[in-house]
Amino acid sequence: MPNPETIRFKSPEELKEEEIERKIKERGPEGEILGGIVFEEEKVVDPETKEEKIKRYIYIGNPYEERPIITKLETDANQEEIEAIKREIIPMKESFEILEAMARTYKHRQPLLIEGPTAIGKTYLADKFTELRYGKGVKPLDFYCSGQTDVSELMAKWVPKVETEEEKKKWNEFLESAEAQEKISKIAEEVEQKEKLSQEQKLALIHTKLQELAKSAGLSEKTQWRFQYGAVPKAMGLIKNPDGSFSFDEQKGTGFILHIEEVGLAEPQVINALLKLRGKRGQLAEEIQLWENGGRKVKAGPKFWVFFSTNPPEEYLARNEVDPALARGVVFKRMKELSVESLHLAADYYFTYKLGEKPKEKPEGCILDIYNHPEIGREISKVVSAFHNDLNKELKKGEEGRQQRIPLTLDDMARVADALIDTQIRSKETGRLDLTETLKKLIHFYYLDRLADEDLKETMEANLNEILNGDTGKIEFEGKLLTRKEIFDILVERASITEEEEKVRCEEEKKKAKERELKQAQFNAQDALNSLLKNPEIPESVKKLLQE
Amino acid sequence: MEKQKLNTFIHLLQKSFTQKQPAFDLGLIVKESKSQIEVKEVFEEIKEFVDIERIVYDETIFDEDVIDKIIDTFQKNKWVFLEIKKDIGSLLLNQLKHLATHNSPQLIDYQGKDIFEMKMPENSRLIVFAERDFIENKITYPHFYRLFGPTLSLK
Repeated sequence: MPNPETIRFKSPEELKEEEIERKIKERGPEGEILGGIVFEEEKVVDPETKEEKIKRYIYIGNPYEERPIITKLETDANQEEIEAIKREIIPMKESFEILEAMARTYKHRQPLLIEGPTAIGKTYLADKFTELRYGKGVKPLDFYCSGQTDVSELMAKWVPKVETEEEKKKWNEFLESAEAQEKISKIAEEVEQKEKLSQEQKLALIHTKLQELAKSAGLSEKTQWRFQYGAVPKAMGLIKNPDGSFSFDEQKGTGFILHIEEVGLAEPQVINALLKLRGKRGQLAEEIQLWENGGRKVKAGPKFWVFFSTNPPEEYLARNEVDPALARGVVFKRMKELSVESLHLAADYYFTYKLGEKPKEKPEGCILDIYNHPEIGREISKVVSAFHNDLNKELKKGEEGRQQRIPLTLDDMARVADALIDTQIRSKETGRLDLTETLKKLIHFYYLDRLADEDLKETMEANLNEILNGDTGKIEFEGKLLTRKEIFDILVERASITEEEEKVRCEEEKKKAKERELKQAQFNAQDALNSLLKNPEIPESVKKLLQE
Repeated sequence: MEKQKLNTFIHLLQKSFTQKQPAFDLGLIVKESKSQIEVKEVFEEIKEFVDIERIVYDETIFDEDVIDKIIDTFQKNKWVFLEIKKDIGSLLLNQLKHLATHNSPQLIDYQGKDIFEMKMPENSRLIVFAERDFIENKITYPHFYRLFGPTLSLK
């Protein structure tokens, strides 16, 4: 009996926490992850109206952790949507690591920067996180950096209102010149320094000076200028309306999710502009001041959040290290390559067709409904993931004849899996699907045709052949050592048997079983007769009768 | 030009993938250095398969105009054949990236909307045409090839 002094009663909060943790860590019968994201509805009392209403929440935690940190967020999505979004996420360890970091930093209004290789799923998970927060189909506001990104696209710019095509062309040529850009920046800076002017006066002055500039460049001085916010202030003041559309209010907007991609490619002046987002205690700034609109402040709504992503600098040419000042102002998370286990898991999900919808009817070009045969998919996934892994390692070294490095992503695998549904080759010998040949052709198209390095292409082609047909690719299958091709052939043969053929086969099996039973009965009867005939206690007259 | 290869290329672009997100791929046609094929020839061949409009991205056109033309072509349920003859500007690159990632352009303050988004119609696709030497030497964006699904190399 436990010592009464050590008994501790758990509070309702603790019990609830335990229940959520159990759901986060939930696994299926084969050990597959079912948790990670949990949907709950709660009754809450509105402090103003005192009315009871239902609020929706999601809990996000890493199910691979023994004691996961679980973050609770409000959501606009319903349970059905959350389940659908969950089904679109391959439950890899890395996916939950990223989602967990997103949830935690979002909750605390901290900007997050993830540096990781292409295939890790940064963009995909930013989209899924936005959907988890706002509902299926809602995308974040995306901004992609490149060496050509201009600060004005991120922050704000003045755009002339032009009527004719000719005027537009003239304007654009003028505006794209370095001279014009420098002069426009100077105007805004000069006006910003005039502290005695009100904001309206500053804006009017900017407008007049822009018109003067236009005149000096030989353009119409009557041109009107329109002020346009860039991606950052827009995301700060966006409002997502119930009908799915967006509106903007620079002072009362609720804010939205902004994903700034490939920040490693941005030039220093862009990074400097982004540093304006740094707020107190590692949080996002509550407001930013833009000199482009006379120093007016734009407030960050409570739901404004920025997620930066970038690839590691060693992966590409022309990519910079993340700027140290930016790195200090964000929660910086560096991710490694997908582990081999995760790659296998992804391949298994793609080739057993667990993601998305399966075709309702057999599509044209489909010989075998491979999407209904996970036993085949599992074998294919082993081959493709091994090949994908090998090729990716080679591509990381760079290619002869190409400057750009093209690492593989999981999309490449998904493309092969999806094409496998309706781009199938029939075996001339058996009339069934020739899975080995089909797979070779698809891998060739989606993986090898992109290679500029002919030697690498040849090597990888030989490797693929070896995996499929060679001795080194042999594995044990149902107690025998077989090549992958032999295994594919067996599995395809089994799966190709149609219902009608299966019926005939069953009938024949039954018939044979009956014949066997009858023969056995005959043998048994003969044995019994023989033993009777050998029995000395049975009279000879009876034996004679039995023999007849 | 190998018709069979072009046929496969178009067929793969027409596919709407069931698992990959987004469903449609952007296509890339690369003219290799020694190829004698003219871009017009390629465009005319594709025209036999699908309803497509050609846009030339060169020094005489601005990113905004190209984006307008792409959206206009999509609104007509047509395919876009975008011939790249200058390094891709930030505005266009943003839209190409968004199309590749989400199958929809996303623009700020466009057509009277704070955020303009338009789902790429099921009957529309985007093919980019460029020469190999140009891609290798003039395109500064390091992930250019990654924007595309099927790639057709013209030798």
